Amino acid sequence: MNTQNETQLINAFVDDELDLTSRLDIEERMRLDAALAQKVEGLRQLREAIREGADYHAAPAALRERMARSIGPERTTPGHAPVAVAAVVRRWLGWRPLVASFGLMAALAVTLDLAWLRSVQEERLLDDVVASHVRSTLGQHLVDVASSDHHTVKPWLSSKLDFSPPVGELQLPGSVFLGGRVDYLDGHPAAALVYRQGAHVVNSFVWPTSAKDSKPEFSQERGFRTAHWSSNGMTHWVISDVNPDEFNAIVGAIRSSDGGS
Amino acid sequence: MSNDENRKRFEALVMPQLNAAYNLARWLTRNDHDAEDVVHESLIRALRYIGSLRGDGARPWLLQIVRHTCYSWLKENRPAENVALDPTDGAAHDLAGPAADEPPSLAMRKAEREQINEAIAALPVAYREVLVLRELEDLSYSEIARIANIPVGTVMSRLARARGLMREALMPSVRSMLRTVARTALGGGKQ
Repeated sequence: MNTQNETQLINAFVDDELDLTSRLDIEERMRLDAALAQKVEGLRQLREAIREGADYHAAPAALRERMARSIGPERTTPGHAPVAVAAVVRRWLGWRPLVASFGLMAALAVTLDLAWLRSVQEERLLDDVVASHVRSTLGQHLVDVASSDHHTVKPWLSSKLDFSPPVGELQLPGSVFLGGRVDYLDGHPAAALVYRQGAHVVNSFVWPTSAKDSKPEFSQERGFRTAHWSSNGMTHWVISDVNPDEFNAIVGAIRSSDGGS
Repeated sequence: MSNDENRKRFEALVMPQLNAAYNLARWLTRNDHDAEDVVHESLIRALRYIGSLRGDGARPWLLQIVRHTCYSWLKENRPAENVALDPTDGAAHDLAGPAADEPPSLAMRKAEREQINEAIAALPVAYREVLVLRELEDLSYSEIARIANIPVGTVMSRLARARGLMREALMPSVRSMLRTVARTALGGGKQ
């Protein structure tokens, strides 16, 4: 026990973690005790050898890029314009009291602007979804949890997120469930469920929303097909590069697996 | 918008610590791909909790998150590893250094580096983390205590034990290197 304390003391001495009194004390003892001095020297040498010999693993460039993309979507240039537009709209909305006397006209204008604002946000989200999909297919990072078993993936995702995403079986021929991963979209964590349809990858993103249930809206962006809707308190975004018929079938299968239709 | 502010703080304070985060995750998981995933997840958590980061201690704060994420990851993916936490454990290292003769050359230096890396990787994770935080990140005992969520006394005992294990593992063949280091670094100890 005593030698153990002694060893710790010497370690702390070498690490320069002792208070001045204990430090002076050890230095004094080292002058008198050659064995102690030798121990300290041995420890110093070991320490130098480790510091000199051990690898320092710097973050790979790929990780930096992945981080920059998944965490700073608002910093990218395409993001700037919509934010500026949204600010203008918001400022304009601040003037509403002035035009209140116009009654119907004002209400109409506000509705239009809100719709515009929403579409701006949606556009930005669409960019994020496409970026995330491309990232997942380019990199090695398609899934965090690789399993075709829904009962494995769902609890895994629930443990990483502050919500439990619906993970149902797709009743669709040729569709293979690859697993799930955690992603970051529209300012919050999202579950990404990954399927393979033939040679194509399908990403299905889910996160909670307060929006009412809605029917799927389809769009195309840079050659990818996307669909998004809300059901049972969750927002869904599905994206893939399959052909339109298959894409419709996938969206239908995902919706029916979720219990919505 | 406070979201933007958080992002700015994140980029200014946390992103510069990416190397430290990766280094720790890489040493704890001992695998590039897993380390990337752990760091990715850690940073997403860090962004979510950035409000709890005060002042200038971004590195210990982030490493605390990385360490926590690593441990959940290890528990999930390599449940056998957490067993070796007991400080009385001594059976985990049968990494006997090759007692071959020593050609005094650059190749030897390289072999020594490899051996040092292997010896660190072979340490039980509780010892490995204090050693990495101390020697590679040059953090103080109190910072390490905060990151690993243990008392400073435990940092001291684990670090002493980690170095003891390292010495045992390196003993046969590193003597020559220790001698060279001693010659070049004599009197050059850190203040």
